[in-house]
Amino acid sequence: MTPLDCYYIAAVAWAVAALAGLIAVRAAGGLRACCALSALGGAAAAAGGGWSLLHGDTPVMSLGAATVTGGPVQLQATSLAGVFAALLGVVAVAIACYAPRYHQPSPGTALYLGAYHVALLGCLAVLAAGGMVTFLVAWETMSLACYLLILRHPRDPAVARGAFWFLALSEAGFLLVVAAFVILSAKTGSTTLSGIAAHAAAVPGGWRAAAFLLALAGFGFKAGLVPLHAWLPEAHPVAPADGSAFLSGVVVKLGVYGIALFAFRLAPPAGAWPGLVVMGGGAVTAAVGILYAMAERDIKRFLAYSTIENAGIIVTALGAAMIFRASGQQALYALLLIAGIYHVANHGCYKTLLFLEAGVTEHAAGTRDMDRLGGLVRRLPRSAVIAFAGTLGIAALPPLNGFVSEWLIFQGLFQGFRTGSHLTGILIVLAAGTLGLTGGLAVYAFVRGFGIPYLGMPRTRQAAQASERGQPVLGPALLAVLCVALSVGAPVVLFALSKMARTVTGVTLGPLLLPGNLTVIPAHTDFAAFSPTYLSVFLVCALAVPLLIYLAGRPRARSVRVPVWDGGIVSFKPRMQYSAMTFSAPTRVTFDALYRPSVSVSRPADDDPAGRSGPVHYAAPVTPVFKRYLYRPLVRALEWLADLVRPVQSGDVNLYLLYVFVVILLAYLLGSV
Amino acid sequence: MTRDPAAGGAMTPEELRAAIARQFGRSLHIRTLDTGSCAVCEQEIRLLAAPHYDLHRLGFFFTPAPRHADLLLVTGPMIRAFEVAARKTYDAMPGPKVVVATGACALGGVYPADPFTHGTVDAVLPVDVWIPGCPPSPLALLHGLGVAVGRLAEKVRDLPFTADDDPERERAAP
Amino acid sequence: MTLWFVRGLRRGVVTTRYPARPDESAALLPSPPAFRPRALTEDTARRLVQACPGGALQLARNAALLFDVGRCTACGRCAAAAPDAVTRSGAWELAASTRSVLIKEIPLRGEAR
Repeated sequence: MTPLDCYYIAAVAWAVAALAGLIAVRAAGGLRACCALSALGGAAAAAGGGWSLLHGDTPVMSLGAATVTGGPVQLQATSLAGVFAALLGVVAVAIACYAPRYHQPSPGTALYLGAYHVALLGCLAVLAAGGMVTFLVAWETMSLACYLLILRHPRDPAVARGAFWFLALSEAGFLLVVAAFVILSAKTGSTTLSGIAAHAAAVPGGWRAAAFLLALAGFGFKAGLVPLHAWLPEAHPVAPADGSAFLSGVVVKLGVYGIALFAFRLAPPAGAWPGLVVMGGGAVTAAVGILYAMAERDIKRFLAYSTIENAGIIVTALGAAMIFRASGQQALYALLLIAGIYHVANHGCYKTLLFLEAGVTEHAAGTRDMDRLGGLVRRLPRSAVIAFAGTLGIAALPPLNGFVSEWLIFQGLFQGFRTGSHLTGILIVLAAGTLGLTGGLAVYAFVRGFGIPYLGMPRTRQAAQASERGQPVLGPALLAVLCVALSVGAPVVLFALSKMARTVTGVTLGPLLLPGNLTVIPAHTDFAAFSPTYLSVFLVCALAVPLLIYLAGRPRARSVRVPVWDGGIVSFKPRMQYSAMTFSAPTRVTFDALYRPSVSVSRPADDDPAGRSGPVHYAAPVTPVFKRYLYRPLVRALEWLADLVRPVQSGDVNLYLLYVFVVILLAYLLGSV
Repeated sequence: MTRDPAAGGAMTPEELRAAIARQFGRSLHIRTLDTGSCAVCEQEIRLLAAPHYDLHRLGFFFTPAPRHADLLLVTGPMIRAFEVAARKTYDAMPGPKVVVATGACALGGVYPADPFTHGTVDAVLPVDVWIPGCPPSPLALLHGLGVAVGRLAEKVRDLPFTADDDPERERAAP
Repeated sequence: MTLWFVRGLRRGVVTTRYPARPDESAALLPSPPAFRPRALTEDTARRLVQACPGGALQLARNAALLFDVGRCTACGRCAAAAPDAVTRSGAWELAASTRSVLIKEIPLRGEAR
């Protein structure tokens, strides 16, 4: 029995779940049955993924003879894909617990569940693909299924627009990925991934570079690298909450998997420059992502930009790993690969959690706009606690899992001086500085993202009347527990990941990562050390000290209880609180050059003798820099080109007959040559 | 003065004076409260921190937080719109606490009680020391604060505000 | 900056030593009035009561002038109305711990004590 068998079980379970979803949703318990199968498949995928970390790569299995795709389906469970598959399984389980209470049984839900499970199958096939054709077919299946996923409410023009952005950019990326794969397979003469990896030496340096850059761009569309990220903030708000969670938690990570595949397994180009490009792109993505997140009021758009930021962090770690490999620092190479993959797992957990909670908020309070929420910690207590665990994780605050993986990434980057080249060292330090800025802004952004909707007073009546009855709790709660487990159990996770690193890089990192006593060190004993387990225990105990002081020092005499000092204000109004935009105003003013807000103020005619002027409307929308200066010119150029070619389709039958004649003539001439 | 409820029993005036001096004599935190004054009293209060008068050398400090304050220095005729805030400020101060009303407005002059103002701080807060003046000079304020902490003696009780001289005789005599 | 520093050194210490040493600079400022009982006829007293805008002066029933030091703003209108009966007191240490101590009874047409 190999991990691949677990993947087969998962695939079968999800296929049956897709059918069940399509057919039986409206029947009593049909939705629950579909979700139970989905959870079963998720558990199998998670088990397979975790196992393949320890097991190493399985041999390539070919299923069946020539199929319609032109070759046998080739599957292989690799350890690099192990974490991604485990994440896929965990997210599937969480969404399976969440979906029954989130969706209503209806024909739309049936189609949605069908598409969702096909997407799950597609993702699993991408991760288990052993051959180029299997990979590409699975990738496209996943993209199309995700498009249907986002299109849950197709009549809404905003939904249609968001889904179209996703599809258009997915296809653009797909073309580039196909080109990259074709280059590699043509030069190595093999279509299996392990075959390409084995014959990588046959690919000349220039072709390697071209293939890598094509793959970086192609997978970058899916991973959300700036400026290829435009679909994320469009598609996430309009998809259902579990759909958005799936997109951010898994699909974006598949883009990262593709980049890792080309960077570490299939014919990576030589030299430090590819790593520098990847690291630089990742750092810029991270900074731009979190900066745009600060200007968003819609919770889901905010989380989408945060996903872009975290994808940037992961890609920065992978890029730095490439640089260290090129300069011979094998231990740091393995460390940063481990750190990046660890961050994939962590981000998958807490981002999925946050999106699911955003869905709960949307259903409970009726809106996604932060400025219409407030005080939800009293109305939705359990959801608030779970969302808080997710917020602590994503803000990378100790002792949760985000802190562990970001610490590892930073420690790896700080050792940039070991590369021996001053220029590379400086660039690595710059990337570390950018990530530091990103980390600080992320804390700020998520204080806003949690504080404005959950804390304070409700800003509207809908928020004041939000109810937790009937809202899903189990799914997000599982993810919250997993967040804590990934941090407290970091030594275990790192042990498994170091096994994966050994398979991918050939470097045994054991004692340079986990020297014992549950401590973690970043690949060199003379640099730093930290124990997530002990830190968690310490922080919990440290909370006991103020508690004991309070209990011991409570005054024995009767004390007077007076209201909290609030500045003497007569009564607090909800509008006296921070709004989402005022809280982020310092950032928006500082980075004004990036946001370029176009301020517009409109007030009614102010000729009232008493000086009253009625409501003043103030709007400061952020300029969509990438859409305006990158995408729109490209689209216009394409449209111009299409206009140029339009005369070819004149509608005249005689002209078409002429085309047929000319083509036959050419084919005859070419055939006789 | 509102005493700390932890201390039990009644005190003799000497004991109370000694207790006040012991509690506040060397370090006092003052919170100013403007209940609708014309702000000239506030300007004189501000001068207390200037080099000429320097209340810090006496161990007095200004604090904006009532939670950290020992003494509430109130100016203004206690307009009714401010009543809630004044009560909240006073309640937020932990005992023992002292209330000092200063300025003619706060002592009942200038504005009579009407629908918009109480006219005197006494109507809302229990006042311990009164400092007349319009405005009270910084030295007068220092004297009043000294009286409030028991470091200085009251003098106004013995002042008759009468004059014995004969202006006609002085005008007659060259 | 240097000029300010040097000037400050030349000026020396300007902080008052009050309350350790007496400081009578405040006595030169406007202060509540002192009354001459010899010149206080009932008529003068009534004129003074009318002249006071803040209500610091009232007529008591037992032929005395009630002067509330707390209400006095040192505006000088009583001195302008009856310059023979009113002079400046120069008193500035006026803090009191009971309100009633600030209400002085000035006898009319009697000897100054």
